[in-house]
Amino acid sequence: MRNFFAIWRRELAACFLSPIAYVTMVFFLIAANSTFIVGAIKNVGNSVFLVSLLFASIIMWLTVLVSIVSMRLFAEEIRSGTIEMLMTAPVTEAEVVLGKYAGAMTFVLFVIAPAVASIYIFAAMGPGQDIVDSGALTGGCVIIFLIAAFCMSLGLVVSLLTRSQIIAAISCLCLIWLMLFLGNIVSAIPFAPPKLVTFLSLLSHVEDFARGSIDTRPVVLYLSATAFMLFTAVRILESRRWK
Amino acid sequence: MISVENLTKRFGRVTAVDNLSFEVKAGEIVGFLGPNGAGKTTTMRVLSCFLPATGGKVTIGGYDVFRESIEIRKRTGYLPENVPLYMDMRVIEYLNFRAVLKGLAGRKKRQRVAEVIETCGLAEVKRSVIGRLSKGFKQRVGLADSLVHEPELLILDEPTIGLDPNQIRHIRDLIKGFGRNHTVLLSSHILPEVEMICDRVLIMNKGKIVASGTPGTLVGVLRGNPRVIAEISGAPDKVQASLEKIPGVVKVSFESVGEWNRYTCDCLKDADVKPEIFRVISSNGWLMRVLVAEKRNLEDVFVEVTMEETES
Repeated sequence: MRNFFAIWRRELAACFLSPIAYVTMVFFLIAANSTFIVGAIKNVGNSVFLVSLLFASIIMWLTVLVSIVSMRLFAEEIRSGTIEMLMTAPVTEAEVVLGKYAGAMTFVLFVIAPAVASIYIFAAMGPGQDIVDSGALTGGCVIIFLIAAFCMSLGLVVSLLTRSQIIAAISCLCLIWLMLFLGNIVSAIPFAPPKLVTFLSLLSHVEDFARGSIDTRPVVLYLSATAFMLFTAVRILESRRWK
Repeated sequence: MISVENLTKRFGRVTAVDNLSFEVKAGEIVGFLGPNGAGKTTTMRVLSCFLPATGGKVTIGGYDVFRESIEIRKRTGYLPENVPLYMDMRVIEYLNFRAVLKGLAGRKKRQRVAEVIETCGLAEVKRSVIGRLSKGFKQRVGLADSLVHEPELLILDEPTIGLDPNQIRHIRDLIKGFGRNHTVLLSSHILPEVEMICDRVLIMNKGKIVASGTPGTLVGVLRGNPRVIAEISGAPDKVQASLEKIPGVVKVSFESVGEWNRYTCDCLKDADVKPEIFRVISSNGWLMRVLVAEKRNLEDVFVEVTMEETES
């Protein structure tokens, strides 16, 4: 357990000791909020739920952020050889994987926090709408956490499989976007059941959650998928010892 | 301490280590020699539990490297070849991080980190970012890291590469001091250094051990004849003829160095021909200014055992 916290701290330090963390935070805030504003302007006259629009734009940029943060987790260690130092210390594979995962997740949540909090600014700017629906906000936060958790675990596995950070980032982004539009892809099949389409569509989950309806099925889906990915990562790392 | 039985490691079709067996007793300082690509680093990686073996059995302190690797990793300090470190951390942060990973905490951790900073001469750079340090300092950070948890066994892959002579001497003294109550396995290309530090030497070539023993005995088993060199003034033919008559001398060749001629005598093993040469020279009234037995060192052994493997 102490090793887990030590690795977690080291991962956080790697992010926050450089200015990259703060630059990323600012750019993320600008990107997500301008996407939201553009979306809101385009939809003038239509009835759109603005909270779900905000969370959808955050999730769009979250995919990029997660790919970039996760790419260095193992690819960098493999390339620079520090994995040799790490794995010859008395630490278990699970401690390494979970420590790194926790560090990267903490960083990502820290970076997206201002973008989520900007909902209060938008509410204050809207005439007569200075009250934020706490149900919608909670639901949005839950789904963002779930999606970030799953995408990060996916990125971690991808990062373990290559020594090139660029390849890790691109493959991770492709996989996440494939998942993002899985609903649309499946719906193109003529005889696909509509229920399956909505269940697979990530963006429709966001819409539901950002309306304040927290459905346990996606929660179970994302949590179990994350656990599976982390388990896979531990096994891949272990396989280096017996391969 | 270390027992390696029939260790084999293959990467695809390439056999890096081929049916290797050796033992290292507790308290020994053993040097691993061999040309590049001989399998030294691979063997060390297997011993440090980083790479799995394809075949064979390796135990360290009674623990199996495959099944009980955590126990071994707690007891060994390992310094990989190119000293990979986290370049964005400061020296003291890095050592603290490593100390925690290796199971130290609280006062014990602070005390050990301070000690290794002292012994490895890192006091002046302990607040510096590792990425900005010179090669020598990085090497010492790596060494400090491998020492921090007071391991019973120290595995060092080329610990003195890239260091200046003063630093090499410092590290050498450190290893020697450490070797008094710990076991050390180190690899190096610098032969005089290995000769100085190590109790025993293993020479590897193409994944196999081609020679092993103390530096002294290795030099002793060298094939070829020991040589005596003499510089003598006098008529070359006569000198050569009388030298060749001396019992124990097999062959004499000479070259001229100004007034003096240098004679190289190939002698039989165990034959000390120097007093006899002196007697012959003085009884003939010639002058002699040099009479030495050619000193052969580990380098000759190294070249002999590794070259002949390559040729065959």
